[in-house]
Parts: sequence; structure tokens; C-alpha cells
Amino acid sequence: MLLTTTLVFGACQQNEETNEQVNEEITIEVEKNQEKIVSLNGAISEIICELGRGDEIVGVDVASTFPEWLTDSATVLGHANTLTVEGILNLQPTVVMTTVGSLKPEIESAIKNAGIELIAFNQEFSVEGTKSLVLEVAEFLNEGYKAQEINQNIDGVVSEIAAFDNPPSVLFIYARGAGTLMVAGKDTPMDQIVQLAKGENSITDFSDFKPLTEEALLGANPDVILMFDKGLQSLNGFEGLVNAVPAIAETNAGKNNGVIAMDGAFLTSFGPRLGNAAKELNALLTPYAK
Amino acid sequence: MQNKRTIFIIAGLLLLAGLAIISLQFGAYKFQGNLWDVLVEVVIGKPASNPTDSYVFFSIRLPRIVMSILVGSALAVSGTALQGMFKNPLATPNLIGVTAGASLFAAITIVLGSYLKSFIPDALHFFLLSIMAFLGAIITMIFVYRISTTKRKTNVVIMLLAGVAITALSGAITGFLTYLTDEEELRDLIFWTLGSLGGSSWLKVGILAVVILLAYSLLLNKGKALNAMMLGEQDATHLGVPVEKIKKQIIVLTALLVGTCVAFTGTIGFVGLIIPYILRLIFSSNYYIILPLSAIGGGVLLLIADTLSRVIVAPTEMPIGVLTAFLGTPIFIAILIRHKKLL
Repeated sequence: MLLTTTLVFGACQQNEETNEQVNEEITIEVEKNQEKIVSLNGAISEIICELGRGDEIVGVDVASTFPEWLTDSATVLGHANTLTVEGILNLQPTVVMTTVGSLKPEIESAIKNAGIELIAFNQEFSVEGTKSLVLEVAEFLNEGYKAQEINQNIDGVVSEIAAFDNPPSVLFIYARGAGTLMVAGKDTPMDQIVQLAKGENSITDFSDFKPLTEEALLGANPDVILMFDKGLQSLNGFEGLVNAVPAIAETNAGKNNGVIAMDGAFLTSFGPRLGNAAKELNALLTPYAK
Repeated sequence: MQNKRTIFIIAGLLLLAGLAIISLQFGAYKFQGNLWDVLVEVVIGKPASNPTDSYVFFSIRLPRIVMSILVGSALAVSGTALQGMFKNPLATPNLIGVTAGASLFAAITIVLGSYLKSFIPDALHFFLLSIMAFLGAIITMIFVYRISTTKRKTNVVIMLLAGVAITALSGAITGFLTYLTDEEELRDLIFWTLGSLGGSSWLKVGILAVVILLAYSLLLNKGKALNAMMLGEQDATHLGVPVEKIKKQIIVLTALLVGTCVAFTGTIGFVGLIIPYILRLIFSSNYYIILPLSAIGGGVLLLIADTLSRVIVAPTEMPIGVLTAFLGTPIFIAILIRHKKLL
């Protein structure tokens, strides 16, 4: 009985029109819709919260860091590579949401064999890919009409981003301490977000992530270096980066002290905040466009 | 002696069974109902009242616990048998590079055979993987034995350095392979270096059980022969022990055991060092007793280590190699100090 009351209360919050007419029918409908979701992707978690269903998320992966309250209300299950089936099943979810290819096949099949619905969405790192992810997640949760609003918002913000006459050349460096420095080539989320922000990726001759070499760095000669804020912290700031890779001092970026640090989940989750991330990066790039 | 051995074996098996039952109750998943109800329901053939409980119990936790016991047992017996053959407490599958050889071959199979994976059934895939790991193990073993043994005497320094060389080579090739593969295969390769009992299934348990049954039926009764060989192989031959035949059997069977374990669980180090060391402290170098007891002791050790690895950082888990290395390295150093003069 207590459960029913809470559910009805939840329904009132969601649909203000039905405030007065709480009846049996709505209770049943809401009970049917109420999920217990394990979301194993940052963008998917953000979309669910944006749809107003964040309270149904019971478990997330480490990449789901936004909105911040999510990590308090849901159990953090670990990195996609270190997840355990028992940890997921312990939350008694009704559905597990992830992206294609991010879970180990044996974990995927174990979840299905336990009788729990597993949905792997296709995630493509582009505006169109993000919009279709929003739509698919929303349709799954029977919130299709809300997807339009989110997607229009993304389109709106993206269209506001101004192009540069001389697009700055941007090098993304992924760092976890001086020992691990990787640069983003083509076909990476970073490449996409830099293009959306109207910059140019300094790396044009390889795809994916490759270890940073000084010669490649000098050849690329970026105007500005883009990093995750945690990555820059792990090197103790720009000076630490130059100490680790002295060749940076010889590039344009080194000469203008050009480094931009942004929150990793914000910059590359390719979720509802995609437009805002691109716009913010665009603003940060402006001083380097000559 | 016979009686003492039987008593110890029975006591060990009871301990193992008790620990297994305790370990069944630990894990990231908290059972909704009573564990015994789940069991009873299956025994009397009633449909499960809580399907998730029953699934976690029978398809995840139980195979994993059985797997940890089997792998621990196989690794400990391999260690003990190799130490008997090399006549040295440092001869373990890990230190002489056999594990590295097996994981190298397994890694190559994964990378080159990944396109085969979609065409062949799971059972055949696991089978192929264990065969390849076995090949890697036996090639390494023969190589190390040949270069470290002259005139039936093993040069321990060469044995260990050969292990270092093979482990380095295997690491280099595996590192090279990671640059050739896409992300998904890479994830599998990382698994070889850390070791994990996650992903245990009844199929893997079944294959490993058959291998163990075969190997143990030939290995576990070699205790007395190994005792005789301790006196010197010449003397053992005079006592009627078929030394060469026994050595060949040990090489093939331990390679089979180590290869299968590595194929399914990656590199789990130090089990073959810890268990024989502890047993030798209690029973001295009497292989008649320590060979069968290491089969039980290895199971106990890995069961405890795996339960800890599942519990201490739940809901994720610690790589089991981290725990066995914590336990194993002090013993490694202790052996080095005790045998300083012999090296």
C-alpha cells in the first residue's frame, strides 16, 4: 500500500495536469513504467536524468558523473572493464543500459541469462549520433515527446557556435601522469568535439589514440593543447606538461602558453550537454584564433 | 605413514568443503531468499521462487568456487611435481617461465584466431585455447629443462634465468600484439597478465576437471618415486624407478595442467610456490605425503584468495594475482635466504 502511494505521488510530480484526478488507472500505469535502471554509460545516464527519470537509476558506471547527485543516489559499480555480474544483479534491476561493445560478451550474456533486459544502444560521436541516442533512450522509457525538446536544444546551441576565419589547430592530450600521454587522432570523440567547436585537430594522419612522441608533436605544431582537467592536474599543470614533454615549448601552443582544460565527462560524453560543451570550447579557443 | 597420510587427506578435504560452503555466502550479490531454499528447490525440482537468486547461485558463484578450487589445486600440484623433478623449491611454473609460455600462445591464439571465433562453437574455442596454451607450456618446459640440466644435474641459476628470459620475451610479444589488435581483444590480453576467475562457467569447469582427473591419476602416485629421485637419479634407477619415463610424464602432465589453467584464468602466480613451501615446512620433503596434500592445499589457498578478491572491493573485484603475489613474495624471499648457499 505504501508503495502504491509513493508511486501515485511520483505520478503527480511528473504530470501536473493529473494533480486532482488520482485514480486506479494511473497507479497501474505508473507501476508498469517504473523501472530500476542500471546505466553503464555517462551519456545514457545524463539522458535518463534529463528525461526526469533519474530517480529510477539504481546503478551506474564510473563515467556517469553528471548530474552530481546521481553518484549519491545510485551505486557506482566500477569501470566498464571491472564490472561484475553479481554487483549488477545485486541491485535487482529491471533493465541494464549500455552501449554496443562496451561490456565483455560474457557479462552481457550472463545478464541476459539472469532474465534481465539488456539494451545496448549504438553510440556515435556526432551531433546526429547524440540526437538519435537521446531519441532511442527516450522512446525506450516512453518519453519520446521529451526527446524532441532536448534535441532541439542541442541543435540550437550548436547553431550558435561561430566559425573562425583562421581555425586554431588543437591537440588533445590524454594524460594520467607523465608516464601515460596519448594524443587523439581522427575518428575519436575529441576530434569530433574540436570540429564542432570550429577548431581543427592537429593530428590528421592517424586515427584513434596513439602515444605522444615529440617528433609528431613538432610536426603537428598545435596552436593550443586541450586536456581533461584531471589529466592536467595529474601533471601539476602546464609547467609539468612542458617538463614531461620539453618539445611542447617549441610549438605555437608552448609559445602562447596555450592550454585548455575541461571536465572530461562534460567534454566528451556526447549527451544532452553536447552543444554546451562545444560552445564552451569554442569560446575558450577564441583567443588562439588569429 | 599410510594412516597418517589418509588422516591428513580426509581432514584437508573436510576443511576444503567447509570453506567452500562458507565462501558460497560471500559476494557482491546479496541473496533475497534463503540460500538453502534455493538448493532445496532445485533438488526437489520445484521452479525457483526467486530466479535471480537461483541464477547467481548455480551459474555464477558455484562454478566460480569450483573453478578456484580446481585451478588452485592444479597449480599447486604442478609446482610440487616440478620441484620434485628439478629437485629445487624454486622450480614453479611461474618462475621457470612455463606460465609465460602458455599465456603467450594463448594470446597469439586470441589475436590470430579472433576471426575464427564467430565460426566455431564455444566449446571448441575453449578447447583450442587450452591446446595452444598447453603447447606453449610444454615447449617452454622442454626448453628450460634442456638448457638448465647437464648430466642429470640442474643448474638452478640457469633454470631461473631461462624463466626470466622467456617471461620477458612473452611480455614483449604480448605488448607488440596489443598494438595490432582492436580494443576488445586487447581487453582479453590484459586479462592474461592479471589473472581472473571471473567468467567461470560449467563448460570451463568441465574441461579442467577432465584434464585434472587424467593428470592426477598418473601424477599423484609418483610420490615415492620422487622421494627416491631425491637421492640422485642414478640411485633411483638402481632402485628400479623408471626415472626417464617419470620425468617425461611430469613434463607433459604439468604442461597440460598449467596450460589449461592459464587458458581459462590467465596468470595466477605463486600458488605453486606457496603450497609446497608450507607443506615442506610441516612434512619435510616427503613427496609421498606432500604431493596429494598439495592438491588439497592449492584448492584451499585459491578459494580463500578468490573469496577475498570478490569481497574486499565489492561491487567490483581485485585481480586475484594481486592477492597471491602478496602471499607469495615473502615466501619467495624466505626461500632465497634459506638457500643462499646453494644458488
